Amino acid sequence: MLSSFKSEWKPFEDLARSFAAKELAGKTEEHDRYPFGEFFHDVLDKAYEVGFLGIMLPGELGGAGGGIGTLCTVLAALCRADSSPGGIVFTNALVQKILLAADARDIAGEIFGRASSAGGFLAAFPSYTHPAHQDNLPEYKRSGRGYSLTGPVDLLVLGGLARRAIIPARAGSGRQGSFFLIDLDHKGVSKSEPVFTLGMHACPAVDVRLDRVRARLIGEEGKGEEYFDRVLPAMHVAAAAMNAGIMRGALDEALAYARERFQGGREIIRWSEVSMLLAGMAVKADAADMCVTLACQALEQGEAGWSSRCAAAALHVHEIACEAVTDGVQVLGGNGYMKDYGQEKRFRDARQVQALLGSVPARKLDLIRKVSGV
Amino acid sequence: MLSSAEVSNRLSGFPRFEDMSLSLPYAPRMPKGMVRETREVVAIARTFNDEVARPRALELDRKTHEDPGYMPRDLVELANRWGFYTMWIPRIFGGRGYNMPSMSYFAEEVGSVCLGIMNVIGVHYLGVAGVVASANTRLAKRILGEVVRGEKTGNPCLIALATTEPGAGTDVEEVELVDKGRVACHARRVRGGYVVNGTKVFISMGHVSTWTVLYAYEDLKRPSETTVGLMVKTGTQGFSFGSHENKMGQRVCPASVLVFEDCFIPDDQVLFSTDMVRKFTKKPIREVAQRYIDYVVGATRPGVCAFGVGAARGAFETALKHASTTTMNGTLLINHEWVQSMLAEMYKNVALGRLAYTEANYANSHRGLYKILQLKPVYYYLRLMPQAYFDKVIGPMLEKDYSTRLMGKLSYDWARPEDQRCCSGWASLAKVAGTDLGVRNCQMAIELMGQTGLRQDAGVEKMLRDIKLLQIYEGTNQLNRLNVFKCLIAPEIPQARVFEEDR
Ligand SMILES: Cc1cc2nc3c(=O)[nH]c(=O)nc-3n(C[C@H](O)[C@H](O)[C@H](O)COP(=O)(O)OP(=O)(O)OC[C@H]3O[C@@H](n4cnc5c(N)ncnc54)[C@H](O)[C@@H]3O)c2cc1C
Repeated sequence: MLSSFKSEWKPFEDLARSFAAKELAGKTEEHDRYPFGEFFHDVLDKAYEVGFLGIMLPGELGGAGGGIGTLCTVLAALCRADSSPGGIVFTNALVQKILLAADARDIAGEIFGRASSAGGFLAAFPSYTHPAHQDNLPEYKRSGRGYSLTGPVDLLVLGGLARRAIIPARAGSGRQGSFFLIDLDHKGVSKSEPVFTLGMHACPAVDVRLDRVRARLIGEEGKGEEYFDRVLPAMHVAAAAMNAGIMRGALDEALAYARERFQGGREIIRWSEVSMLLAGMAVKADAADMCVTLACQALEQGEAGWSSRCAAAALHVHEIACEAVTDGVQVLGGNGYMKDYGQEKRFRDARQVQALLGSVPARKLDLIRKVSGV
Repeated sequence: MLSSAEVSNRLSGFPRFEDMSLSLPYAPRMPKGMVRETREVVAIARTFNDEVARPRALELDRKTHEDPGYMPRDLVELANRWGFYTMWIPRIFGGRGYNMPSMSYFAEEVGSVCLGIMNVIGVHYLGVAGVVASANTRLAKRILGEVVRGEKTGNPCLIALATTEPGAGTDVEEVELVDKGRVACHARRVRGGYVVNGTKVFISMGHVSTWTVLYAYEDLKRPSETTVGLMVKTGTQGFSFGSHENKMGQRVCPASVLVFEDCFIPDDQVLFSTDMVRKFTKKPIREVAQRYIDYVVGATRPGVCAFGVGAARGAFETALKHASTTTMNGTLLINHEWVQSMLAEMYKNVALGRLAYTEANYANSHRGLYKILQLKPVYYYLRLMPQAYFDKVIGPMLEKDYSTRLMGKLSYDWARPEDQRCCSGWASLAKVAGTDLGVRNCQMAIELMGQTGLRQDAGVEKMLRDIKLLQIYEGTNQLNRLNVFKCLIAPEIPQARVFEEDR
């Protein structure tokens, strides 16, 4: 729906919607069975083919060269159907943005420019953290001409699928973090089984322990936080776009159900209590689209002063999304709680998306620190 | 100073004093023994949590994802061995006769560890309430007697309750709605009984119960006036199970589809019918039907509140543990002011929810389904007399028609409508409050715990999945809010109409 604000985004929205209609519709429950069912490799391959795994990566590095608006349009349209592919696209975009922020184009080119399959194009990242807020990052040491990493990384998203990962680490007890590229096939990497989480089951994560794993520094030492802060505004908005899409999907399904379902001798949409639930959802879905669109436009035009606004917009969109998906279940009554319908998955996924880029309270405190300078 | 007539006059204005502060008049009337009993019940629940629920909750949840066909037969056997299926059955029926309000405390305890396991224990009492509220003492004695024997022999005998149909969920909770609705479960009167055709959905524990309290309608066009309650035994010809649902949470507790195809139920398994009700009351059948519903849900919804409070507490305890062991910027979370405030808020929610079920239970204890059991002389009499006395002396009386007639008169003819409204209204109020607070706490815990909160092995995400159901079953919270309006507010406003909104 973002394209209703800006027609330039329309082709990407159409592309993502037709992708969703073909690859995702009717199969979301099956896809969501992972890790107790099969992983949807076929969907991932197709997502790679159409270029979703590198939307914001410049063309010369193997990407589609789109802007944040394009990324958000695609994410919202995908998540309207199923947020798991959205989570994969998001994580890959996050990695790419970090590499670009660190001006590590050589590394980006090596990973993405040479890839010839979805597997090769993926890169893992602990997407549910803000590295600066993490007390227990892995430790890095110089080793020969490079570095080596040791320590735990929890919930490394795509860690079980990708060959490479970007890992934040610190030197000894210092607070300054740096980013490193590691090869997940290195003998010092031990991975858990896929971690069973609340939502987005088909965007899986693993826990990883690193033991003197060879690593390449990304950008400069000690600049991890700076790079991350640079990519945060756009990635906050991208995460918000995911939840905007989830809300849209919840509203679609709730409206359709409320028109069809009879109780008390009428379609339940004709009970004003149900209408009020639906109205609340519609207000939230529209407000979310507007937040995301405005933020995208400001970012694309390089307007100043938007970094904390983006963080604020994302916090707000996530919050109203979590409310809307709860009501989305409620409108369907008992059926809303069942996997035969989409609402229970959205109820779980919205929370999972909210947790991207670090815990909510930490992000709120961060926001006020930045806004106030205190 | 005011005269006592003036005081009464003032207190009868809205909100009526007797409906707004139930614990004040009723707490002093509570038999002291109930406190001792409740303490024991909580201690038993905590032991069960340590020995059974806590070690298994997450592993079982995982197992149900690996194997969606999972049935909790092992859990049922354990709960049976622990005596949970007779614990709150009155001693006149051979049960252990713990006081009904103590079950809420039990539900909070076990619910704080696993709502699914609590449901495996608790739903049975929805069935028990359905049996007891019918006033049919003969059938109650027979069925509850089987539950008691099931415990002694180690063959669990559970009771499920089936009202919900594919086309009628909210509608069957309320007589005003059911006549406009699309019920389809038909009971045809035949010689010696009824023949039932229809389907029930979402029936908790259906697959693993021995008996089902089934509601069907003699005339599908006038369901509120032709409701029949039937006891159907699993295995009866014409009664089969469809699938069971693939749910978001509470996955250890199946929700079953029940299918009836020309299923014959003999007269001696008819819990109530229009003809039977006519033997003890002349009240309009619709009124009796609503009162029956109110008795059942009036007693069980405070329990659902307690489930919600349990989840609220589980979320609080999990968050507290996390905050006490995790650092942020080098400082334990628990020593950040915002965390302390959030934990206090969660603790407050637990306490408020507990107050809600306590008040609702006071209503039931003194003005509702089990008020006779809570009168001091009756309470002590039931506690102190030897079981043989109930089996030999009271038991045979329960089988007599006069016993059902007396119970029927007590429960339906002589009960005051304002008591019915108070109990039903408070039950809904508590249900909405406890379950909403439960959801709130689970959400707060997830936010507080950041990425750890997302992991199934951290426990709290399961609580969020589990708790959501409580806003839906036993009437959606939307329906329950309307019931609060109907019972506690509308009677004061002559022009108020409920469930009759213009389109
Ligand atoms: C896991 C599970 C276990 C259950 N266990 C049992 C059981 O053991 N026995 C049993 O009999 N039932 C059981 N139920 C059924 C449960 O009580 C119903 O799901 C519930 O009453 C809602 O009915 P419904 O699902 O048909 O929703 P619907 O009635 O279709 O409601 C859909 C939406 O419309 C709203 N709505 C409907 N009518 C009105 C109205 N008049 N005014 C305002 N809003 C309205 C509802 O609030 C809801 O938001 C269970 C359900 C679940 C999910």
